[in-house]
Amino acid sequence: MRLFRTLLVSAAVALGAGSALAQEGINDPTRAPYYDAFAGKRVAYVPVAMGFDLTEGWAAGLRDALEPLGVTFDIRDPNWNTDAGAQAITALISEKPDVIVVHNPDVQSYARLLKRAEEAGIYVVQVNMRSSYSTDVFVGADYVGMGEQIGQRLVDVCSPDKGKSGKVAITQGVLTAAASIYQMQGINNVLSQHPEIKLVSNQAADWDSTKAKNIAATVIQQHPDLCAITGFWDVMDIGTAAAIKESGKDVYLLTQGGGNRMVCDNLANGTFSESVVYFVPGQARDMATMIKHLLQHGQAPGTTKTTLFTPLDFLTKDNMTAASCWDMPSNG
Amino acid sequence: MSSMGRLSQEQIVFGLALLLCAGFALALPGFLTTNNVLNLVRSVSILGILGVAMGLVVIGRGIDLSLVALMAISVAWTLNLIGGGMPIAQAMLIGLAFSLIVGAINGWLVAYAEIPAIFATLAMGTLIYGFGRYFLFSLDVAYMPERANSLLWLGQGTLLGVPVPIFIFAAVCLAGYLFLRYAKSGRYVRAVGDNILAARITGIPVRPIVVQQYVMSALIGYLAGIVTAASVASMNTRLALSTYVYDVILVVVLGGIGLSGGKGGIRNVIVGTLLIGILLNGMTIMDIQYTVQNVVKGALLLTAIVIDTIVNPRDEQTAQQGDI
Amino acid sequence: MTLSDSIVRWRYRLVPDHLLGEILTKRWVDNAIPLLILACVMAVFGSLIPDFFGAASVSNLMRQWGEFGLIVMALTIVMVAGGIDLSVGSIFALGNIVALTLMHVAELPVPLVVLFTMACGAAVGLVNGLLVGFLRLRAFLTTLVTLIIVRAVVDMILLKYAVAIAAVFPDSDFWFFFGEGYVLGLPFSVVLTIGVAIVLHLVLSRTRAGWHVLAVGGSRRSAHNVGIPVRRVICATYVVSGTLAALAGVLFASRLGAAGADIGIGLEIAALTAAVLGGNSLGGGRGSAAKAVIGSVTVMIMVNSLVRIGITSGGSSLLLGLVLLGAVMIDVRWLKNRQKFLSKVYVSPTYSALPAAPATDGASPYALNDRLRPVEAIGLDRIDGPEDVILDANDNIYVGNRTGDIVRFLAPDYDQQEVFAHVGGRPLGMAFARDGSLVVCIGGMGLYRVTMDREIQKLTDETNRSWFSVIDDSRLRLADDLDIAPDGRVFFSEATVRYEMHEWPVDCLESRGNGRIICFDPNTGTTRTVLKNLVFPNGICMVHDGQSFLFAETWACRVSRYWFDGPKKGTVETVIGDLPGYPDNINRASDGTYWLALVGIRTPALDLALKMPGFRRRMARRVAPDEWLFPNINTGCVLRFDESGRVIETLWDRSGDNHPMITSMREHKGHLYIGGILNNRVGRLKLDGVDETWTAKRSYWGQS
Repeated sequence: MRLFRTLLVSAAVALGAGSALAQEGINDPTRAPYYDAFAGKRVAYVPVAMGFDLTEGWAAGLRDALEPLGVTFDIRDPNWNTDAGAQAITALISEKPDVIVVHNPDVQSYARLLKRAEEAGIYVVQVNMRSSYSTDVFVGADYVGMGEQIGQRLVDVCSPDKGKSGKVAITQGVLTAAASIYQMQGINNVLSQHPEIKLVSNQAADWDSTKAKNIAATVIQQHPDLCAITGFWDVMDIGTAAAIKESGKDVYLLTQGGGNRMVCDNLANGTFSESVVYFVPGQARDMATMIKHLLQHGQAPGTTKTTLFTPLDFLTKDNMTAASCWDMPSNG
Repeated sequence: MSSMGRLSQEQIVFGLALLLCAGFALALPGFLTTNNVLNLVRSVSILGILGVAMGLVVIGRGIDLSLVALMAISVAWTLNLIGGGMPIAQAMLIGLAFSLIVGAINGWLVAYAEIPAIFATLAMGTLIYGFGRYFLFSLDVAYMPERANSLLWLGQGTLLGVPVPIFIFAAVCLAGYLFLRYAKSGRYVRAVGDNILAARITGIPVRPIVVQQYVMSALIGYLAGIVTAASVASMNTRLALSTYVYDVILVVVLGGIGLSGGKGGIRNVIVGTLLIGILLNGMTIMDIQYTVQNVVKGALLLTAIVIDTIVNPRDEQTAQQGDI
Repeated sequence: MTLSDSIVRWRYRLVPDHLLGEILTKRWVDNAIPLLILACVMAVFGSLIPDFFGAASVSNLMRQWGEFGLIVMALTIVMVAGGIDLSVGSIFALGNIVALTLMHVAELPVPLVVLFTMACGAAVGLVNGLLVGFLRLRAFLTTLVTLIIVRAVVDMILLKYAVAIAAVFPDSDFWFFFGEGYVLGLPFSVVLTIGVAIVLHLVLSRTRAGWHVLAVGGSRRSAHNVGIPVRRVICATYVVSGTLAALAGVLFASRLGAAGADIGIGLEIAALTAAVLGGNSLGGGRGSAAKAVIGSVTVMIMVNSLVRIGITSGGSSLLLGLVLLGAVMIDVRWLKNRQKFLSKVYVSPTYSALPAAPATDGASPYALNDRLRPVEAIGLDRIDGPEDVILDANDNIYVGNRTGDIVRFLAPDYDQQEVFAHVGGRPLGMAFARDGSLVVCIGGMGLYRVTMDREIQKLTDETNRSWFSVIDDSRLRLADDLDIAPDGRVFFSEATVRYEMHEWPVDCLESRGNGRIICFDPNTGTTRTVLKNLVFPNGICMVHDGQSFLFAETWACRVSRYWFDGPKKGTVETVIGDLPGYPDNINRASDGTYWLALVGIRTPALDLALKMPGFRRRMARRVAPDEWLFPNINTGCVLRFDESGRVIETLWDRSGDNHPMITSMREHKGHLYIGGILNNRVGRLKLDGVDETWTAKRSYWGQS
C-alpha cells in the first residue's frame, strides 16, 4: 500500500514535471526538492499509549500530513509502560528512522535516550509533555503559563469575596510528567499570592479515572464545602466528575485536554464546568510542519531547538461552539 | 472449626469490623449518620457484587482473575454498541452473551483442559483485554451515550432514599445465598470445592459444575460492570490491567472463604466487604491521605490474616501440599 | 534368513529406538518444551523483525533482560520452595524509588545506595518470610497484601520526592555504569544476572541449602519430618527474593532514572508467566535457574518484539494471553502425561533371532529324563527364593533370600538355619574369596563382601560412565553373578542397565544387549566395564586356565568364553550357541567340566516373537503386563558341559514337582546343591561316580 502510494506520488511528480515542460512554462524551483526531501523518509511515533483522544489525534494528523508525501509513519505503543517505551526508543535508535516523535511519560525517563537519538542523527520532536532534555522541536502547551491561568481561574471562581469557601483541590496526573510539574509551578505562582484560596488536596491520580474518582470522593467527603477541583486531564476527570455527581455537591470542575468531542458533550451536560483546551489537530499540524522543515533543511539533529506553544482555549458551556471541539477520525 | 473457643476468620473479621465501627462511631462525629452509612455501603457495593462472583468461584476451589477484565471489556463493548446506534436492550444482550461465552471458555479451560485456574484466568484476562481493544473498539474509555441515560439510574438513582447499587448488592447476595443453599448445583459447587475427587466418585458432574461457576461469575461480573458504568457514566477499560481484581480477592478471602475451596458462603463476602467499607470510610473522615489509606488498609488486612493464622494454626503435618 | 528378516534386522540395528525412552527419563527433558517455545518465539519474531539478530538489537534485548531475569529468578526461588511472591513487582518499584531518592536527593555514595536499597528489599522480603515462613500465613494472600502496602509506600515516596528526583541529574559515571555500562562486551546487568543464575544453579543443585529448599517445595511435611528447618528455609527464600527484586530496581533506576507511578505495575504477572513458561511448577519442588532464564528470555522477547512490530496495545495483549494459555496448557499436559508416555515408549524391543532350538528327545544330549527326581529338599518352606547356593569349608550352605538376608544352613543335617548377614538388597550370585570372605552380588546395590566375622563391606556400586550412553550407566542396577580370578580380581555381570531387578521380564521382551560384565580390582579399588552390550549376562565361572571365564547370556541362550589375560586377551568365543533354554549360573564340576543351570526352556511362540520387534512393542503398549508372552521359567534343568561346548549330561525333573525351578547349582563333596530364585527350598542330589572329596574352594584356592 505504502509502496503503491509512493509510486503514485512519484508518478504524479514525474507527470507534473513532464506537463510543466510541455507547457514550456516556468518550473517551480522548490517543487522537485520538496518532494525529494520526503521520499523514503521514516517517522516513528512513541506516545505514552495509544487508545485515547490525544495520541490518536496526533497520530491521525501526522499520518494525514506525512504519508501522502511518501513518508513512512510507524507507531510504537508502549501502552502506559515507561519501560516498554524506553525499550521502543532504544530499538528505534538502532533502527535509525529520520524523525522520532515522543510523548514523554515523565521528564526524566527518556531524557538520556533522546539525547542519544539526536547524537545518532535522528530528529526528535517532543509533543505536549516534554522531557528535561530539549530536543529539536517541542510542540505543546505552555504548562507554566497554563498553570498560572488556571490558578487565576480558581481564584476568580472560588474567592471568598464571592461567598465561596475558597477551598480548592488539585488532581495531578503522573507527578513527574511535564504537564504536572510545570503546571503546578504555574498554579503555585498564583496561589502563593492568594492566601484566601486554600489548597486542601493535591494528589496524583496517574492519569487514571478510577484513582481520580476515589481521590475526589475522599476529598469531597472530607471537605463538604469544597469549591473547585482542577484536574490535569479530561479523560481522567470523568472519574472526578462521577465522584462529584455521586456526592450531589456543587463543585466547580476545571479540567483540561485536547478538545475532543467528548469534552464539548460533557461541558454541555454539565459534567465538566470548564475545560482548558489545547487543540490537538493544531498540534499535529505544527508537528508536521516542523518535521517538514527539518527534513527539507537537512541540518544536523540537535543543532537548533524550536519551541511552539499551542494556543489555549478556556471553554465553558457558554462560550463553546460546534467548531470548538474536533471529532476523532472514524478509522481510529 | 471447633465451636468451643476457636474463632473462625469470619468471626474475627466481623469482630474487627464491629470494633472499628464502634471506635469510629465514638471518635468521629458524623460516622453513624444515616447518610454516611448509606454512603459507606454504596461505596463498596460494586466491590461486594464482584466479591459474590469471586466467592462462588473460590468456594468451588477456583479463582477468576479475569473477572474485572471481562467486566470492563464486555460493558465497554455494550456502551460502544449503544453509542453506535444499536437499541439498548439488544446491545446489552450482545454484551451479556459475550460475557457468558467467555465465562464458559474460562470454565472449559479449567475443567476440561485442566489448566490451573489461576493461570487460565490470568491469561484469559490479558487475552480478553487484547481482544476487546483489538477487535471491538479502539479507545481506552467508553462513555455512556446520551441515549442510554435511563441506565444511569442503576448507578446513580435512589429507591426509597437508598441508592440503587445497594439494592443490587443485596439482591445479588440473596440470589447467591439461595443458589448455594437450595439449588442442587449450588450444593454441588461446595462439594466440588471441598474434595473434587470425592465429588467425582459420588457421581457429581464435576466438570459441568466448574464451567457453571465461571459462567455465573461472568454473569454477576457483567451486572457489576453495568452498575459501574452507570455510576461513572463511562467504562475505563484500563481497569482490566489494574490491581482491582486483587481487591476483590481480598474481600473474599478476608471474609473467610478459603482459597483451598469448599468453605464459606455469601455471609463471608458481606463481612469482608463491610470491613473494607468501614475502614475506608473511617479513614476518609479522619482525613487520611489516599496513599496512606492504602498502607493502613493493607496493614489491617495483614493483621486479620495473622490473627486468623494464630487462632487457627496450620500444621506441618496437616498442611495441604501445593496449597499456596 | 529371508529378505524381510534382514530388513527388520537392519532397521533395528540402525535406528536406536531405546534412546527416545532414555532421553525422556532425563530431568532436563522438562526444559525441552520451554526451549522449543523459546525457539518458536525467536523464529517468528526473527523473521518478522528485520535485523532482529543484529548486534544492536541483541544488546538492547539483553540489557532489558538483565532486570527482568533477576525478578523471575527471585520469584523462582520462592516458587521452588512451594511459595509464591506476588510482591516482587512492588519491591522492584520500591528498589527503584529508594535508589533514586538516595542518589538524587540524599546524594549518598553509590555503594551505599546499592547496599541500602538491597537492604530495603531484604527487609520487605523478611516481613514476607516471617509471615509466611514462621507464622505460616498463606503465601498468595500475604504477598498480595504486601504488594498493596509496598505499592502504597512507593506512592507516598513518589508524592514526596518525585519532583525533586526529576529535577536532579546525578553526576556519577559509576552510578550510570549499572544501567549502561559494559563488562567484556556484555551489558553489566546481563553479566550480573548470569552470575546470579549460575550461583542459583549451583546452590540449588549442589549445596545443602539448595537441597533443603527443593525438599521443602517437594514435600513440606516430609521435609519437616526429616528435620529440615522448614520455616527458616521458607523465610530465607523470601528474603533472597526481596533482595534480588530490589537489586533489579537499582539497575532500572540507573538505566532510566524514571520516577513514574507505572514502574513495576503488573510485573508480578509477567514474572509469573515467565517462571511458569520456563517450567517451574506452582506449588514447588520443580524449578531451576535454567528454567527461570528460559522463561524470562521468552517472555522478554515476546513483549519487546510486539512493541517493536508496532502492533497496537490490544494486539500484543491478545497474543501474550494466547501464548501464556497455550504454553501452560502444553506444560500441564506434558507434566500429566509424561510418565504415561514414557512407560509407553521406554520399552523398545529389538530384533533377535535365536538359532533353532535343539531337540530334547531321542539321542539328543538334552534328552528328557527324571534324574532330578531323587532330589531331597533342604529348608523346605523355610527359605524364600535362594538364587544362588554356596558351601563353605565346613559344609554349611549359604543362600540369599528375598527379604535381603544371607541365610546359613548349618551342617551336617541342615535342619538349623540362621541369618548369616542382613544385607538389605537382593543377594544373588556368591563366591568365596581366597581369604574365606563371601563376595556377593546384591541386586539394586552392587558388589559387597561379607567377611568371616560377618562384617558387611561395600566393594563397589558404580563403574565408569560410558561416553555416549544417555542414561547414567555408572550406577549398578542389577549385579547378578560373579567369579573371582586367581589374582583376586572380581568379574561380575550386570544383567541390564535399563531396568530394575523386578523388571527382568521386560528386558527379555527387549532382548537387546543391555547388560555388561564389570571387573572390580581389589588391589587398586577400581571398577571398569570390560564387556558391553551383552544380552542379559548372568552366570560367570572361571575356566581352570586362570586366564578366561565362561559367561551365560540368558535371553541369547548362549554360553561364551572371555579371555581377560594371556595371549588371547580380550577375545570372546561362543562355547554353546544354541541352548534349548535360558542359561543362568555356571559353576565348576569336580571333573574339570562345568555345571550350567537352565532357568527355563524356550517356547516356539516367544522365539518367533523375538524376530518381530514391532509385535512385541505393540504388546508392551497395549496389553497388560500379566498377559504378555513370558519366557517360561517354570521348568528347567541342570546340564554339564566341557570347555569345548560339548554337552555331557542333562538332569531333568520331568514331573516338575520335586525341583522345578533352577537358577544355580554347586557341586560339593559328591552332592549337587540346587537353588532357584522362585523356589522355597534348596535341593540336594547325590552324584554318582564323582570325587567325593572335591570342593570348589579347593579347586579355586588349592589346599589350605
